[in-house]
Amino acid sequence: MCAAAYDEMLDTTGGARAHCVRYFSWLRAQPAELLARKRAEADALFHRVGVTFAVYGEEAGTERLIPFDIVPRVIPTEEWQLLAAGLQQRVRALNAFLGDMYHDQDILRAGRIPSELLLCNAQYRPEMQGIDVPGGIYAHIAGIDVVRADGAFYVLEDNLRVPSGVSYMLENRKMMMRLFPELFRHQAIASVEHYPDGLLENLKSVAPQGVVDPVVMLLTPGAHNSAYFEHAFLAQQMGIELVEGQDLFVRDDFLFARTTRGPQRVDVLYRRIDDDFLDPLAFRSDSMLGVPGLLTVYRSGHVTVANAIGTGIADDKSVYPYVPEMIRFYLGEEPLIANVPTWVLRNAADREHVLAHLAELVVKEVHGAGGYGMLIGPAASAAQIEDFRRRIIANPERYIAQPTLALSTSPTFCSQGLAPRHIDLRPFVLSGREITIVPGGLTRVALREGSLVVNSSQGGGTKDTWVLES
Amino acid sequence: MLRIRHETVYRYDEPVLQSVQSLRVTPRREHRQRTLSWQLAAPGRRSEQLDAHGNIAQLLTIDEPHQEIRIVVSGLVDVPDDGPLIVERGPIAPLAYLMATPLTGANAELTALAARCWSGSAATRTELEALAAAVCNAVKYRPGTTTVTDTAASALQRGEGVCQDQAHVFLAACRSSGVPARYVSGYLLSGDDGDIASHAWVDAWLERPGVWLGIDVTHQSTAGARHCRLAVGRDYLDAAPVRGVRRGGGRETLEVRVLVAAENSQQ
Repeated sequence: MCAAAYDEMLDTTGGARAHCVRYFSWLRAQPAELLARKRAEADALFHRVGVTFAVYGEEAGTERLIPFDIVPRVIPTEEWQLLAAGLQQRVRALNAFLGDMYHDQDILRAGRIPSELLLCNAQYRPEMQGIDVPGGIYAHIAGIDVVRADGAFYVLEDNLRVPSGVSYMLENRKMMMRLFPELFRHQAIASVEHYPDGLLENLKSVAPQGVVDPVVMLLTPGAHNSAYFEHAFLAQQMGIELVEGQDLFVRDDFLFARTTRGPQRVDVLYRRIDDDFLDPLAFRSDSMLGVPGLLTVYRSGHVTVANAIGTGIADDKSVYPYVPEMIRFYLGEEPLIANVPTWVLRNAADREHVLAHLAELVVKEVHGAGGYGMLIGPAASAAQIEDFRRRIIANPERYIAQPTLALSTSPTFCSQGLAPRHIDLRPFVLSGREITIVPGGLTRVALREGSLVVNSSQGGGTKDTWVLES
Repeated sequence: MLRIRHETVYRYDEPVLQSVQSLRVTPRREHRQRTLSWQLAAPGRRSEQLDAHGNIAQLLTIDEPHQEIRIVVSGLVDVPDDGPLIVERGPIAPLAYLMATPLTGANAELTALAARCWSGSAATRTELEALAAAVCNAVKYRPGTTTVTDTAASALQRGEGVCQDQAHVFLAACRSSGVPARYVSGYLLSGDDGDIASHAWVDAWLERPGVWLGIDVTHQSTAGARHCRLAVGRDYLDAAPVRGVRRGGGRETLEVRVLVAAENSQQ
């Protein structure tokens, strides 16, 4: 599988691609023990900073380091420009779709997406119906997972609820600059350090109408959450308060925070809590993480919640196949980055095909995330395949299937030295008064040989991502 | 015309530091009912808005320590006797009321219950009335046999429940066979039957002609001039008269008194 895949750094003869010549000749000139020392240094530093990730499904409370690979993923200027344009286009369409979904539902009336798929979807939030959000922006922060397979880029997944991972993008860059400062003198690599400033600007730009100098706070579920490090990190970088539900309260249709200087009105809530837990009076009544009455304030237009409630209807895996149609419908354009061909198993014809080819395909749970609940046909045992067959037949609407993509690879340090490993890319798209993308993103790498699962919860690692400036 | 008084009193063993409650105790603005007067008395601060289902909702917040919350609504509502159809489609697409909720998930028994009453794909009024009878037969009305978190499936298994359970069972059965249906909370002029004045029933979607049909499952009949509609939703949790959270307070006791009386409209 590895041999056939496109490598981002090396051509088929093993020589560096044009945009990587400089880096690769540097890398080859480095003594092996120096690189080994640098790798150990990186591990030690990450431990000290506390960049860890709680892994679900292992022993409760297990926290471990996401392995960091010292070989960067390098993207040439022209390629990035193409990607950025495609991502902007996609996020514009997704926001337009969300606005339509929670207002007039023109796309349903036009028959472009089956009504039942959207309205009878657990991710559709009737509570959002009719709410006007500032600028018509719902997905203020979007993490779009992009892969390259057979030479072309594809969007694998949109993450529009509470996308995470941006702290790794920032920390990885800091680490690379610390370990190998000379590399950043050799060539112009687009900087990513300003992401927190851009995020804060973006959040302020979507404050409720008429608010001057808006107060932004970050709502976290607390220290037990797997992404708590990132919550604390971003709040600190942006210079805003990190709060929990119990620090906030609602009065007279406004949201306030308890502070040492008395109640402070909150205009924009950058929440890192799922919809279900945001307001026990509207969603799960057993939630202690949210703020009772928050939905009422939101409906009154007195607070902006970022990302908006109900964005899950746009990144649901069963809705994903229709994103290209959204781009055509709302923008009148053809998608610049393609979707991965997807079979929707609620459709009988798709189901028949997939059940006959399970050993070749990837099957995903519609409501699964983080690489859980997934079948990778070529890597699965006969028993695993039969198990999925039974599950699909019992609840076809819960699954989609895609071809097993030969994800591109990048040279990665493994126990036996430098070897190709499969990678993906999650750039972070910010939507507010305008759409901006920090050049780069989070490159995830599947560290096991031949593995196609890059999720950190499944043993994936990360790399620094370089976008070259011409 | 209905003269209504509804008093809800929460008492707490220890002081509550903060209460936030979501109230749906004001009659919906609908063609089929006209609110002539309506007063709400409650402690604390209050704001009002239309929720996503078109219900009139108040958010009540109390920041000072308290050991009692008394909410009293009263007024006069004119409900002309012009049939059980609700002409307003509502702000949410009917199809969205096909979605099961944690309280209205269907199982094989619930699906079978519905299947026995249907002949075609879109429900008719006769079939919906037959389903109401089947639900009442399977879940006998018995006061005091439920908790608010009871699901349709558990009510059906128990074989008895209150109007809320019967409504949930009806909703689960309808939705499992592709008929959108929603929960209705409101008041009923019940004559001698005092404990059912605060009532729950359902709206089922009639594909032709595209209107909601009010059905009082408990009484196995359509809902009409004796019913005053407060709120609709996907289940009890969307439409509950009071839904609240508090900090502190210890044990809670709840007292509800509802009076619904017919008043001569000639005056």
